[in-house]
Amino acid sequence: MSLLDSLAAGLNTVASVEAFLALFVGICIGVIGGAIPGLSATMAVALTLPFTFSMAPITGILLLLGVYKGGIFGGSIPAILIKTPGTPASSATILDGHPLAERGEAGRALGMALWASCTADLISNLALILFAGWLASFALSFGPPEFFALILFSLTIIAGVSGDSLLRGALSALLGLLLATVGLDLVYGTNRFTLGNPNLMGGLNFIAVLIGLFAIPEIIAMARNPTAHLGRARSLGGTRVSFADYRKSFRSIVRGSFIGVFLGSIPGIGAAPSAFLSYSEARRRSPDRENFGKGEIEGVAASEAGNNGVAGATLIPLLALGVPGDVITAIIIGAFMVHGLQPGPMMFVLNVDIIYGLFIGLIVSSVFLFVVGSVAIRGFRFIAEVPKRILMPTVLVLCVYGVFAVNNNVFDVGVMFAMGWVGYLMMRARIPVAPFLIAFILGPLLEDNFRQSMLMSGSDPAILLRGPITWFFWALTILTIIGIARSVGRKLAV
Amino acid sequence: MTLRALQIRLGFAALVIAAAMALVAIPNFVSSPSNVRNIVLAPTFWPYTLTGLTALTGALLLFTGWRVDPAILLDEEDAAKPGAWLRLIALAAIMVATMQAMPILGMPLTCMAAFAATAFLFRTRHPIVALICTVAVPLVLYAFFAHVAGVAVPQGDLIRLP
Repeated sequence: MSLLDSLAAGLNTVASVEAFLALFVGICIGVIGGAIPGLSATMAVALTLPFTFSMAPITGILLLLGVYKGGIFGGSIPAILIKTPGTPASSATILDGHPLAERGEAGRALGMALWASCTADLISNLALILFAGWLASFALSFGPPEFFALILFSLTIIAGVSGDSLLRGALSALLGLLLATVGLDLVYGTNRFTLGNPNLMGGLNFIAVLIGLFAIPEIIAMARNPTAHLGRARSLGGTRVSFADYRKSFRSIVRGSFIGVFLGSIPGIGAAPSAFLSYSEARRRSPDRENFGKGEIEGVAASEAGNNGVAGATLIPLLALGVPGDVITAIIIGAFMVHGLQPGPMMFVLNVDIIYGLFIGLIVSSVFLFVVGSVAIRGFRFIAEVPKRILMPTVLVLCVYGVFAVNNNVFDVGVMFAMGWVGYLMMRARIPVAPFLIAFILGPLLEDNFRQSMLMSGSDPAILLRGPITWFFWALTILTIIGIARSVGRKLAV
Repeated sequence: MTLRALQIRLGFAALVIAAAMALVAIPNFVSSPSNVRNIVLAPTFWPYTLTGLTALTGALLLFTGWRVDPAILLDEEDAAKPGAWLRLIALAAIMVATMQAMPILGMPLTCMAAFAATAFLFRTRHPIVALICTVAVPLVLYAFFAHVAGVAVPQGDLIRLP
């Protein structure tokens, strides 16, 4: 079947009011779900899944994909407005989005988040359509040594989010890596820092740590000085994102989108590391790098492009190989199976109409996301106008509900409070929290892949340099470290 | 505070954390079998490696702290208002009380109490709005999480919400 025939078959399958309505409703649900801290895009997709059972396959799957895409964007709304990321993927958006909101430019930050999200989403969808087969086969050649080299390289992004002091950033990252060792040992199954508490055996809940580090310190800081915010402009503001802002950030958006596409096509990496890597690259290359972390619009664009670039690309291994790229696509694969579809190479032969129908739906989803996102920004504007001494208790209660909802576990609420005090102490000691979070995310992946490599090779470290992919990432890591060392040297010389 | 003072304090703190990890935490709280064939596969290998790196970072912070110009001042931050320590202790007490009260009072009632206490602590200028929000916010969140998201929100022994 030719490409045109496939497209025609896809259009025939998807061209119904129900399919596009499901996509639109899905995006609405996703934006709202993503905007509620603790609910997350993952939970929104999981909650929507049972509603798809009675639908036609294409309609049900488009509904879930709409929730997924809307959820990733929706997470940026509370990240910018109340410094509480709605989804882990939007953690990097806080770094510049919230300072912009504090300056009274929340509308501009949200607008840029939307534009960057839609652009990255479109690029990611096009990448899915063009490179699904090729990228998926490349991703399949990743084993533990390749993952270790990739994650080691990803850790160099800490330099980009360390702010004034690389050493303080490194200390923050090491503390994050140490905290990530809590739980059962992967190889021997023995306890590490669990203190006999079964709640700690699975490690600390990521969402509890994330919300604790970012949202709770703001509440604690308000207790220290309840009137510090008075006199500061804090509203959606009259300023909107301009085409000049978009043009200025366009390179970072495209770069972030491709970073998202690349990391999204590798199963297991996820959107949060992609957002941080995109942010770090944008900062490294920007002439305004000094403004990053203080309210730089390009920082918002890069973060959002990084996390939305993942959304379409995670479907590459799903559709081409039947391997889910992340937790959300693992849920979506369930929807395929419920409808009697088996994602993988054979699906491109047996169900080509559904594959191309999905492609068409995904392209349309970028347009829908723009429309729904524009309305959502206006809908959530009241959050920016709420008096801060009412908003902070609301955030506290929202965090309690949100963190509890992840695992139905009160212990996680305690972890959130404890991490809140850790985050507050770090804030007072001017230790950046972003490296802590990145290390906490990547730490278990780094250790697991290192130890799996050692098990595979009988503890021969040569396996870490076993092929061109590892050489490539080791070379990138070394080049980045040299770049960081030179930049530190220049600073010391000045 | 000067940059030098900050770097030196952080350097010392990092060294203390590393010493505590190496001497107390890892030997006592990480279980490792005695028949581990290779040290890199031992459960203690990764924590010890990270501890060593933390000590190295602490030493570097101390070294750079000593070298930095003692006249460099850090950017001013918001000054603490009178009674800041009391409010911080009160907020910590609210958090502990929230944890303790949740199994007894349930999440909605506990959150209502936490909201009211926090708004009072922050001396809100909108007491009527705060009072309405004290009741409305936890109830709306309960309705959403319990009935839409299907989360088993703890109800407690006093009141059982529909």
